[in-house]
Amino acid sequence: MKADVKPKPVIAGQGVDAGEVLLAVQNVSLSFGGVRAIRNVSFDIRKGEIRAIIGPNGAGKTSMLNVINGFYHPQEGVITYKGRQRSAMRPHIAASQGIARTFQNVALFKGMSTLDNIMTGRTLKMRRGLLAHALHFGPAKREEIRHRAAVEHIIDFLEIAHIRKAPVGKLPYGLQKRVELGRALAMEPELLLLDEPMAGMNLEEKQDMSRFILTVRDAFNTTIALIEHDMGVVMDLSDRVVVLDYGQKIADGTPAEVQGNQAVIDAYLGVAH
Amino acid sequence: MLYREAGQFKTTYSADMAIFPIRQDRVALILLLLFAFIGVPVMATFHIWPLGSDYMLRAILIPFLILALAAIGVNILVGYCGQISLGSGAFMAIGAYSAYKFSTGVHLPLAWLGTALAIPPLPVLPSILLGGLMAAVVGILFGIPSLRIKGLYLAVATLAAQFFFDWVFIRVKWFTNYAPSGSVSAPELNFFGLTVNTSIERYLLCLIFVTLFAFVAKNLVRGNLGRQWMAIRDMDIAAELMGIRPFYAKLTAFAVSSFMVGVAGALWAFVYLGAWEPLAFDINRSFQLLFMVIIGGLGSILGSFLGAAFILILPIMLDQVPHAIGVPISVETVSHLVFIVTGALICYLLIVEPHGFAKLWSIGKEKLRLWPYPY
Repeated sequence: MKADVKPKPVIAGQGVDAGEVLLAVQNVSLSFGGVRAIRNVSFDIRKGEIRAIIGPNGAGKTSMLNVINGFYHPQEGVITYKGRQRSAMRPHIAASQGIARTFQNVALFKGMSTLDNIMTGRTLKMRRGLLAHALHFGPAKREEIRHRAAVEHIIDFLEIAHIRKAPVGKLPYGLQKRVELGRALAMEPELLLLDEPMAGMNLEEKQDMSRFILTVRDAFNTTIALIEHDMGVVMDLSDRVVVLDYGQKIADGTPAEVQGNQAVIDAYLGVAH
Repeated sequence: MLYREAGQFKTTYSADMAIFPIRQDRVALILLLLFAFIGVPVMATFHIWPLGSDYMLRAILIPFLILALAAIGVNILVGYCGQISLGSGAFMAIGAYSAYKFSTGVHLPLAWLGTALAIPPLPVLPSILLGGLMAAVVGILFGIPSLRIKGLYLAVATLAAQFFFDWVFIRVKWFTNYAPSGSVSAPELNFFGLTVNTSIERYLLCLIFVTLFAFVAKNLVRGNLGRQWMAIRDMDIAAELMGIRPFYAKLTAFAVSSFMVGVAGALWAFVYLGAWEPLAFDINRSFQLLFMVIIGGLGSILGSFLGAAFILILPIMLDQVPHAIGVPISVETVSHLVFIVTGALICYLLIVEPHGFAKLWSIGKEKLRLWPYPY
């Protein structure tokens, strides 16, 4: 399938069927002054797949995620999400449309407990206002309890029940990454963007994280786009891989296709001049 | 041995999310409230030490309660939402002067409209609450820059509020009902037919306000809104990507904070001072409140009380020490010594425990849970 095929429009508010295009990036370019971080990149993410974005350092992978969830506004190009086109939007609107993400260097709320961090992910689903919360009575309390139950499911799933009340600033790195995944999952996102979920982890932690990612896709029916440097992980987990180098797309396909691609090998290993 | 939560199993989320989930904490709080509401007035009535004279209530407990309320307000903004403010004194002043205007009747001639805005004098309670509300409105206005600037730059922007309102309440005679000296006095404190006159009554009035607002603040910070504030404080970019609107989170923090500070200002003027001039709410008041919050513990309601107690009561206590032990030194020397000792203690405390008294308290509780075993 060619990347620039327009996705079938769906009625706003309705879901996208499995296998159809959930998010399409078309001819996006982003530059900071003279630095062209992303040059004319197009690819799509289909509902229910694990889509890897790889490339050497500085290839524009994280910038791409920032464009997708509205943190950067591309100078050119169109992003189509769930059949609706948009160019620039505020990050919290992207969040309300079901795009969640984790960060390369953990961006947890350090002063809060694991539980509160994950509860924060439910913010968009909570409706009660200031006065109801001031009294913490009736509807506001019921709402808190309902969301607490949902959050406890995520805590169980990620096996972090023992650090539920611990302040996240003091947790080891691997657990922080897990809490961050939990916080993103609490949003019940349709599209989950993971920026190097396994950076700095040892083998067992990587295995755990891989297991969680696969389960999230299967059990929560979440579409996942992930950036990762561990090629073993990428090849095992992902359905399709897009490769960026110096802001340009150099390959797009199944892991096997990408592995055999000469341009990718050159980008990673260098070319003799 | 005494402070242990082992055996207190929680079978519902409701129990686990209770305001004080540990039984000993609940008991301690109830005892403290009983003492504050019943013990103190009884002791004061029968002149039992240390409440033998009116001085303890009038000069220590009443200002402590009111400043603790203001410190809770400042803590919501600075400690929970991470927006540094040096304008707290101004918001106290707005609360005080608005309450004064509402209680004496508002008459605002709107000549260009050919009409006038007139509100008849209101009773004291609505006046105080409306004073808080006016402070909240102004707080939102002065909070708008926080959407663009952070940290020390925001502190400078809020400093502008402080100087602006210092100037307004001195120069715009309308606020003081054209009093020639610039000094105004509070109306009679009449609540639903009950007149608050004696120190004990004034103390109870302040206590009721502080207790109610402390619970409101505690409820807010452990709910959804409080989590939004803390998320903005800890990592504003990630918070925005979680769907938190910085606009809403920051401005609600400014509104709630200014409301509480405004109510505290109105109480300070009406209940504690009785008659006041704009100097009562100058920049020193802002600094005092900020230091209370920093020393008490940023992001802690308990810390607001501890900080208020430390900053307010320590100098008074130190003032009494040389006199009590019979050292013959002059009054000026004593007041200079108080400055030196207080300053040194603040430096020492911040080096030993930068997170303030609240952190010391929680470390103490942690140790107490294990005592007498080391771990």
